[in-house]
Amino acid sequence: MTRYDAIVIGAGHNGLAAAGLLARGGRTVLVVEKNDVLGGAAAGYEIAPGFRAPRFAHLLHAWHPQVERQLDLAAHGLAFARRDLATLSLADDGNHTIIERGEARLAAGNSLPDAAAFAALHRRLQRFAGVLAGKLLQVPPRLESPDWRDLAGLAKLGLDLRRLGAADAREFLRVLLSNAHDVVLDEIADGPLAGALALDAVMGGHSGPRSPGSALTLLYRLAQGGGRHLPKGGMAAFVGALAEAAQSRGAEIRRNAAVEAVLVENDRVIGIRLADGEAMKAPLVLSSLDAQTTLRLTGVEHFDAEAVRRIRHVRCKGVTAKVNLALSALPRFDGIGEDLLGGRLLLTPSVQALETAFDATKYGELPACPALEVLIPSLADPSLVDGSGHVMSIVVQYAPYHLKGGWNDAARSRLAATVLDLLERHAPGLRDLIVAQDVLTPLDIERETGASGGHWHHGELSVDQMLTLRPVNGLARYALPVGGLYLCGAAAHPGGDIIGAAGHNAARLAMKDWALLEERVA
Amino acid sequence: MTAGFLDRPILEPVAAATPMVPRGLVPSPFDARLRPLNLHQDWMPWAGHLSARRFDSVEAEYFAIRNQATLFDISPMHKYRVTGPDAERVMNRLMTRDVRKIAPGRVGYSLWCDEDGFVIDDGTLFRLGRDDFRLCCQEPQLGWLSDVAWGFDVTLREETEEIAGLSLQGPTSFAVLEAAGLGQLAALKPFGVAKVDDGLTVSRTGFTGDLGYELWVPAGRAIALWDRLWAAGHDFGLRPIGYAALDMARIEAGFVVCGVDFKSIHAAVRPTRGRTPFELDAARLVDFDKGHFNGRRALLQHAKEGPRYKLVALEVEGNKAPHAAFVYHRKKTEAGHITSTLWSPTCKRNIALAMLQAPYGVDITGDLWVEIYHDKEGKWERIMAKAWLTERPFFRHRRRSLTPPARL
Repeated sequence: MTRYDAIVIGAGHNGLAAAGLLARGGRTVLVVEKNDVLGGAAAGYEIAPGFRAPRFAHLLHAWHPQVERQLDLAAHGLAFARRDLATLSLADDGNHTIIERGEARLAAGNSLPDAAAFAALHRRLQRFAGVLAGKLLQVPPRLESPDWRDLAGLAKLGLDLRRLGAADAREFLRVLLSNAHDVVLDEIADGPLAGALALDAVMGGHSGPRSPGSALTLLYRLAQGGGRHLPKGGMAAFVGALAEAAQSRGAEIRRNAAVEAVLVENDRVIGIRLADGEAMKAPLVLSSLDAQTTLRLTGVEHFDAEAVRRIRHVRCKGVTAKVNLALSALPRFDGIGEDLLGGRLLLTPSVQALETAFDATKYGELPACPALEVLIPSLADPSLVDGSGHVMSIVVQYAPYHLKGGWNDAARSRLAATVLDLLERHAPGLRDLIVAQDVLTPLDIERETGASGGHWHHGELSVDQMLTLRPVNGLARYALPVGGLYLCGAAAHPGGDIIGAAGHNAARLAMKDWALLEERVA
Repeated sequence: MTAGFLDRPILEPVAAATPMVPRGLVPSPFDARLRPLNLHQDWMPWAGHLSARRFDSVEAEYFAIRNQATLFDISPMHKYRVTGPDAERVMNRLMTRDVRKIAPGRVGYSLWCDEDGFVIDDGTLFRLGRDDFRLCCQEPQLGWLSDVAWGFDVTLREETEEIAGLSLQGPTSFAVLEAAGLGQLAALKPFGVAKVDDGLTVSRTGFTGDLGYELWVPAGRAIALWDRLWAAGHDFGLRPIGYAALDMARIEAGFVVCGVDFKSIHAAVRPTRGRTPFELDAARLVDFDKGHFNGRRALLQHAKEGPRYKLVALEVEGNKAPHAAFVYHRKKTEAGHITSTLWSPTCKRNIALAMLQAPYGVDITGDLWVEIYHDKEGKWERIMAKAWLTERPFFRHRRRSLTPPARL
């Protein structure tokens, strides 16, 4: 039987980052991936011959620079086609808003009444987010810990809070558990600008702008940087650089290798078994899968009933779908030049519209007007398409996992039609340019990536599932109760979005435990 | 994650005709027989059911337990049925002891813990078949059992209302069974359980430290069972008893009661009130070698750190039982308190169970004193009585384990 120091389950960005760091630390590492394509939710693919598109996630806005440095990704081929994309929030009346580096203006050039208020709000939120930012690469503290490091971490949080000053600290605590709707509309009028900010608060999650805690999710997003970057060569190239970084240090990657079970003996992992029956041994197993799937693969019997109860109640109803298009030519958007089209286009006309769209989702219905985040990555990176033509990648916020009547072909067509109708309001004739299209529902996301509920973040990113509560109370420090088993993906702190911090933190802890283990053996 | 894994129902669906939660205390299936016999009409609540505290005189009932035969209605006990291919795995996951060692037709006493290693409850586990268990316990456990069973192929069913139970205890209890036409139970060993016919199951179990049986029937057959035993018991001094007399016998037998001698961690508001099996002096019931069970990792840690408390058996000088008394070391340092006590008519001395805080009861076991307040005909007196550790049980008769059992 083949032996490794560590086995990483899932070749998503977190799995690959963990593998790279473990290999860098001198461990022999095997990554097993059930799909033929690497990348999980960050994978790229060919939507039609010669058209390369991101399958799910389509830009990097939170990728942690420290992880990038430690893995030396630039040396392994990571480059950016465009950094700090501007956001263009489309308005039905053609008065589109451009948001760039915390400032907003109207695309037409005339002044935006809320510009000053928005800039002030953005600055304040960014400052608040700074209090959280330092926590991303840290292991969440134990609240009842005798370890001084946990207490020091908590003390630092208190100190950062004090450093905001009395007025800001008060405001921080006021908005912390409030909702995005109130935080945004207290300062600026409802419209495409407010809608854009609110969309950042709910993207990927089963929550609306009025959902309690959505303000914290917004801060959390801002804490992760905020700049949005397009990797050169698409998401596939980004994943390729991660894989290359791991492999160059000796990590082995097996594709088409679905894990059937995590093997446990005497309360410690001893390896994994693949669906085809082949077993591999390793004293460390890092799972980048969500908590429920990891629980299932390991076996409920190895977890206390309380842990099982908490894990099975992790909220993970996916509500985000994807529509990918291969286009014969660049679509013409009314009143928008090519330079702006290369950025991030949002169709989120107002906070109110966003909440209305979420309402439908709560009852298992497709909203009439979901919010859209649209990218045409081939504008900044022509290498994505052979010859002429473009690819368009559309994130659809609010398409329920539990759709009434189920996700059949008719429902998929309805989702595509809704999205195209919304886009054609601004880009008439878009339909005529379509060479190929893919509709990926939360169900498809679950089937392809394995994420329970098709949830982008492997569990709702809300206050009851963050920090010391992610994925659940008592298991927030990557290590699961079975010795040598770790969560290294979005299910663990700091959660979803393409950050890489979970993989980084888990790998670091696993190596620390390894060292202790070796010491004990010696 | 497949939908089946998330959504598989474990609990049997409740029939639509099931009545609403009743108001007040629910009468026992034996109510029609118990009520006329209860000369004092002295009732107490037990898990939402009407239970007799005494029928006539507690003393007479106690001496019937020790010298004759007694019937005690145990129907209010929580009863859960766990069946299915994974039943053994689920019970083993629940219990601290190795359930695989309880053969079909055997009964095992065990306790179970939460993730922190604190005891949730104790009870008797009846292995009725390879894949068929009945759990009898003091506290409601349906929710907890559903949590423990989640992800396993078992069916849970609450049988508290469906199954009536009678505890037949005392030196002449087998003679009563024989007279009732159940002489074939002579072969039943202690902690054995046998199915007599489709409706009647009998186990050689009890709470008294003496010969005794527990008989289980569907609630609809309760009265017939009572009449059969009552008619057979006339010549053997059979009499009904209430909880007051039974409690005396159970202290003598050294059994602990959840809610009296320890607090279920699920009922404790303060997490520090939880007690580990080691602290309840039940280390023998913890089997670390059987694989994972609920609370195992925490218990390993507890075992390493040593107990914070210790449930001990005490003898106390004098003839005033130290009810609700403090225990002191060297008459001045508080060491713990008494949880159960009586002046034992059979042992002819004061016996008690006490919860001592470490190091008392663990490293320091001598020079213990109990502060007793007692009302001497309208005048309160305070005694500092000497106490010393002793072994449980305080009373256990050889008859309890003889097979075939004594007839008189």
